[in-house]
Amino acid sequence: MLTPLKPGEWDWNKAAHLLNRAGFGGTPEQIDALYHAGFDRSVNRLLNAPDDTAEFPKPVWATQDSSQQMAILHAGLDLAAAGTPADQEARKMIFRKYQGDVRKNMIDLVGWWLNRMATTPDPLREKLTLFWHGHFATGVTKVRDSYKMWLQNETLRQHALGDFGSMVRAMSRDPAMLVWLDGADSLRSKPNENWARELMELFTLGIGNYTEDDIKASAKAFTGYKVNPANQTFFYSPLQHNDEQKTFFGKTGDFNGDDIINMILGKPVCAQYMVRKIWRFFVYDNPAPALVNDLAARFQKNGYAIHPLMNEIFRSAEFYSPRAIRMQIKRPVEWTIRNAKVLEASLPPTIPMTNALRQLGQIPFDPPNVKGWDGGKAWITTSTLLARYNLSNYVIGNGGMTLQPVGNNAKKARPMRDVPSRAVIDFEKIAPAALRKDTTALVKSLSLRLFQTELIPYASQRFIDYLEPRKADIDDQTVRELLHLMMSTPDYQLT
Amino acid sequence: MHHHDDDHIIEPHTNTLHTRREFLRTSMLGAAAAWTLPVFLQKTFFELDAMAVDSAVQVTTGKDSPILVVLQMAGGNDGLNTVIPYADDVYYRSRPVIGIGADKVLKLNDYVGLNPRLVGLKSLYDQGHLGVIQGVGYPNPNRSHFRATEIWQTASDADQLETSGWLGRYFDSCCSGADPTVGVTIGNELPQSFASPHPTGVAFSNPEQYRWVNNDKNGSDQVFKQLNQPDDAGVDDNTGGSIGMLSGNQHNNENPLDFLQRTALDAQLSSDKIIEIACKYKSVVDYPRTHLGDSLSLVGRMIAGGLPTRVYYVSQGGYDTHTNQTGTHDRLMTELNDALVAFTKDLQAQGNFNRVMLMTFSEFGRRVQQNGSNGTDHGAASPLFVMGGGMKPGLYGKYPSLTDLNAGDLKYNVDFRSIYATILEKWMGAPSKNILGRQFPFMPLV
Repeated sequence: MLTPLKPGEWDWNKAAHLLNRAGFGGTPEQIDALYHAGFDRSVNRLLNAPDDTAEFPKPVWATQDSSQQMAILHAGLDLAAAGTPADQEARKMIFRKYQGDVRKNMIDLVGWWLNRMATTPDPLREKLTLFWHGHFATGVTKVRDSYKMWLQNETLRQHALGDFGSMVRAMSRDPAMLVWLDGADSLRSKPNENWARELMELFTLGIGNYTEDDIKASAKAFTGYKVNPANQTFFYSPLQHNDEQKTFFGKTGDFNGDDIINMILGKPVCAQYMVRKIWRFFVYDNPAPALVNDLAARFQKNGYAIHPLMNEIFRSAEFYSPRAIRMQIKRPVEWTIRNAKVLEASLPPTIPMTNALRQLGQIPFDPPNVKGWDGGKAWITTSTLLARYNLSNYVIGNGGMTLQPVGNNAKKARPMRDVPSRAVIDFEKIAPAALRKDTTALVKSLSLRLFQTELIPYASQRFIDYLEPRKADIDDQTVRELLHLMMSTPDYQLT
Repeated sequence: MHHHDDDHIIEPHTNTLHTRREFLRTSMLGAAAAWTLPVFLQKTFFELDAMAVDSAVQVTTGKDSPILVVLQMAGGNDGLNTVIPYADDVYYRSRPVIGIGADKVLKLNDYVGLNPRLVGLKSLYDQGHLGVIQGVGYPNPNRSHFRATEIWQTASDADQLETSGWLGRYFDSCCSGADPTVGVTIGNELPQSFASPHPTGVAFSNPEQYRWVNNDKNGSDQVFKQLNQPDDAGVDDNTGGSIGMLSGNQHNNENPLDFLQRTALDAQLSSDKIIEIACKYKSVVDYPRTHLGDSLSLVGRMIAGGLPTRVYYVSQGGYDTHTNQTGTHDRLMTELNDALVAFTKDLQAQGNFNRVMLMTFSEFGRRVQQNGSNGTDHGAASPLFVMGGGMKPGLYGKYPSLTDLNAGDLKYNVDFRSIYATILEKWMGAPSKNILGRQFPFMPLV
């Protein structure tokens, strides 16, 4: 058992840290409320939050009907055969419209999900769903189907706090995953190794814990997993299942996919791999092997139940150690939501928000590859750091966002739209008139709001000095400039 | 505070640009001894000092230094359909659908030729500006995209884990204290080949946006600079005196704040110059409007403007052609060809072609045999291109046998680290043995 935090050590900063890491942060009032609830009740609240399903109805387009195959079937065309030239033309038209729909739907889905992350009463479930999305990283660029992407997101959410074994089994049958890693194309006679390789390399064991022969055997075991084009659901085709004897991890039998998953879960290294990854996401990089092994042993013994694992982590003293607090770089998705929280504003409109996330390197449903986002220091380069600084200007309603093409060839440069910021920020709430009379108090209040901690005197003084010549009349614009300065710092990128 | 002897610090060549070292010296060394430096700057000082007494130090900036451009073809390029063994029946038997007809191949000799889309590269070859290196790989090839890419980026053995990149170690070894733009990546992410314990290099894709933009003309800029540059570091106030604004941060190697501060400093130092060049220099040739074309156009402008960069990094994705590969691969070859042709013309017009060498690489080649869906699966050895005005052109290495295979894949005969060693030592003038961990044989490329 990890040493728990002593209840007496619970303070406002730790409440803020819990909310930042287990969820997506909060306003000063929300942190106050959590702090006053006390340590035990705070952790309970996050782990056993009310169901939010009714508050977030699924996007209207997210139906089994929305697939390209369905459109082709509806038009009375054959799925497999090319058909007459007229048929081919009709298919081309369907495909073109379908591509446009997918693009539109995916932008909608990104907005839908970020809004849910930002406003749900169950933020831990969304935070875990984001973790699982990065873990089972699947991209619409190859799946090309917004319904399947939505469905996978829903499946990840359902299992987010359940047990990891069920999650892996669900992913092995997930229609988006079956397209993404070619499982649906895997043939009895020619098993495709893509899913089999990543299942072990990325999803459960980590490289070095299996052989190339194990991959081949596993690929055979998963043959027969198909997606029904008529309703976008998984089905098992016994005819396409390779039922020969397979040798996996030294055992021989006619294994199916679930057998393979069970044998993988039987390895302590699987629990260790997952605990290390979860710890890195929620706490810090490179946890000590002893800590990982200790947590992993219980994780495996508890049938890979995620809820008790998260409970132990959030109650541990280590989670609140100096090595953890404000030592993580905000993920772009987190950065976006935290901006809205600290400013008590709504999220930016979906299109500029997606544009911003692209510049910062994290678009949900479009990970760079099946390994997901590297995270940590990889989020930050000179380019993305300046982009964060400049996008915060847009976020506080201080300027437009120029959607520019990558690169530049002066003669042909496309004129790009300047999207004006429509941010509505209640400056009286954030910087009440009474506070504006006392620049020191104003800087302190905004620091707590933005950084969830006080600044060192040297830094506070910079901001106070900035306000000094404007002191007579600190209007909303001055507060904006101050906020932009505070957000244009290395420190604001940390959580 | 540590004493710094000016005599030990080598002056950079250029007068126009503040190198990081120059910047640190002018802004920090004159500072009162009571000032406590941010931890990462302290480290930098000790290193600069240690480095200054090392005679192997190479001053890296200056207008005439050779430049390396690395072009990553991400996803595993099908080498067999790039440099095609058109005289080999095994090629056509293995690839009944996706094999490229001998009549279309752009022949280099009586056995191999280039993909028909690489017309411009063929001319460059004929003009003596292109090297084609065949059968490049390494022992015990890995077929995972991530691991194989990591092996190429870090130049490690297949069974060794190395975190720093080969170019990062070059920067560390030869450019320590240099301007951060010594390494430039077009894009938002630095490649692992730039990784090092002391990260060097900047990334950008839109020079016009590569600066801090604000609306307040009265003083914001000044405060911003103070917050993001250590040119006016805080006095010790019992918090460690870091420009890190928050109390309670511990300093250690993993500290992300040190890293963020360093990146903020690099952004500040590079932004003005990059924008200035972007405003002043426009391409005189038409680049194709592709991602790669845009990237190389930007590199061309930065070279024209004299950015003191030794290594540029660009990438082209999409080479993971498991299904119906022909159309996709054709398009990629066309994009590659058109972008390289434009880049060459640009550099020739600038008069810089002789000081630039471009090297392509991909994490692996693909299987000899086409697969069940008219594509190809992950393979091993494959060819790469080296291009430039100052190199010895020709066909290097030998084409791997199509029948003597290693688990269905081509065997390598040129270790990619021999190419790195040659480029480092013969082109960049750097000690390749230190950077690559051992001495790899040189190739007569330069």
